[in-house]
Amino acid sequence: MAELMEAFSQFGDALVSGLIAGLMVIVNLLPGSISDAFQYAFMQRALLTSVLVGAICGILSCYVVLKRWSLLGDAISHAVLPGVAIAYLLGWPFFIGAFITGALTSVGIGAIERHTRIKSDAAMGLMFTGAFALGIVIISKIASSTHLMHILFGNVLGVQQSALLLTLVASIIALLAVWLAYRPLLLYAFDPQQAQALGFNTSVIHYGLILLLTLTIVASLETVGIILVVAMLITPGATAHLLTDRFKTMMLISVGVGVSSAVIGLWLSVVLDVASGGTIVLVATSWFFIALLFSPKHGILLRQWRRWRMSA
Amino acid sequence: MVTTLGEAPVAIKIQGLYAAYQRHPVLENINLQFPAGKWTAIVGPNGAGKSTLFHVLTGSMAPLRGSVKAFDEPIKAHRKAGHIAYMAQREAIEWDFPVSVWDTVMGGRYGHMRHDALWRRLLPSRWYHPSHAQAVKEALEAVDMLGLAERPIGALSGGQKKRVLLARTLAQQANILLLDEPLAGVDPPSERLILNVLAREREAGRTVIMVTHDMPGARRHVDHVVLINRFIRGVGTPDEMLSDAKLAELAVSSTEQTSTDRPGGEASSFVTAQGKVTWQN
Repeated sequence: MAELMEAFSQFGDALVSGLIAGLMVIVNLLPGSISDAFQYAFMQRALLTSVLVGAICGILSCYVVLKRWSLLGDAISHAVLPGVAIAYLLGWPFFIGAFITGALTSVGIGAIERHTRIKSDAAMGLMFTGAFALGIVIISKIASSTHLMHILFGNVLGVQQSALLLTLVASIIALLAVWLAYRPLLLYAFDPQQAQALGFNTSVIHYGLILLLTLTIVASLETVGIILVVAMLITPGATAHLLTDRFKTMMLISVGVGVSSAVIGLWLSVVLDVASGGTIVLVATSWFFIALLFSPKHGILLRQWRRWRMSA
Repeated sequence: MVTTLGEAPVAIKIQGLYAAYQRHPVLENINLQFPAGKWTAIVGPNGAGKSTLFHVLTGSMAPLRGSVKAFDEPIKAHRKAGHIAYMAQREAIEWDFPVSVWDTVMGGRYGHMRHDALWRRLLPSRWYHPSHAQAVKEALEAVDMLGLAERPIGALSGGQKKRVLLARTLAQQANILLLDEPLAGVDPPSERLILNVLAREREAGRTVIMVTHDMPGARRHVDHVVLINRFIRGVGTPDEMLSDAKLAELAVSSTEQTSTDRPGGEASSFVTAQGKVTWQN
């Protein structure tokens, strides 16, 4: 067993080194003023983490936006905190705890919604704030405020090899799941009644998607932190939705927005010496406003121009 | 006692069905048999439980009590086998969704794709089995929408949207079609087209069951009418059931319960004006 774990982690290390080497080939094509920042090992780990997080957030973001799950994403991301704290207390890998409380909260929200007269927004609001409060109370007892800050706002420049491996595994699982269940997920997002009528098990799809969301959030914690991860789950998908009327294209654009925001944000934060998580989210928000203005179909400028042409 | 009208075998058989939303009863003591290869209209006022009946048939809602069978087997197996096609009211769909008309109709084939070779299921749409594209093409031709196949669905008019949803239902090539108000909010040409398409499906031996408020269309085309308002209020031919007197009776029926209809009571048999037992318990 130990040998297997050893072999696994060696394989993971090799994979990480390979991916970093691949990324560095691209980075080194850029002018020296940009690529210089990435010569440190911690920057290279941060770069790979950002690329992975940008990609899986970009993918999941399409479902979050189209299924109107923005608030649910926010809820799960906050609900992850007590799990992190408890895992820290018990000496578990923190993602296991995060996963458990994130999933429990989403199940709890569903149960309150279904069995009481409380509406879904209130159910989410009360569950996630409760979970978040529990997390803060536990952490205030056991850890320093620096720890809390890192969990809340991310610490991409301090990503350890183990956390990077976790992000890598989460990304691979998310990619595989979306690839293998592409059609059921698409149909469920578009028309759940139809999916049900075609004999798909919609509760499995529903909770599978929520688990995937939780996994993505956990994988993104180190990069942008609990508070801002929901931005990475909304903004790329919303930007892509303004730019296309095809789901596959939307996913590609969304991944593009996610990855580019993460990488550009990381670089800017180092150059300007500001918080990485915040910078990454700001770059994504900028993409959104650029799309809002200049989108060929749904952009403000071209719509105004067409209106002006019509009336002229 | 179960008596079947004519010689037609039974496509869907509902026995002792009760359904409720949050303990508020919507359907009570429903015993119904839909004959195969016939066209049946379900008629009732708003909130009468018509859509709920379809939700039970399509599995999106679990009944409190009762059983639903298709061709004498549990209906779930038929759903999985793609034998039951369902067209929801369009209000239930997110029209801003980034899919084209073609991809929407292809959605009707997703059930059948479970039986494709594994490698096809893992690859993008270009490598789908050619039979799927063929079915989609035929369905779009039938509703006269092939020319708009590449349009985003959000860019269509109300009647066109209905036709696309109908095409998705047809593309499934199922032997039972459940249509929830296929004619609501549709322009007259689209209405004619939809009724003709459904008539052709029935000619091809398929079982068509639709909820409708369109009395003239129903009078002209359907074989049977089921009047429903929480309970079954009548079953028979369009001439018998869609008389002004019957419909007026149906409209006020929501407030009263007849003794035979009372929940938990014996399965009622319906006797039509001619005094014969129709296809119902």
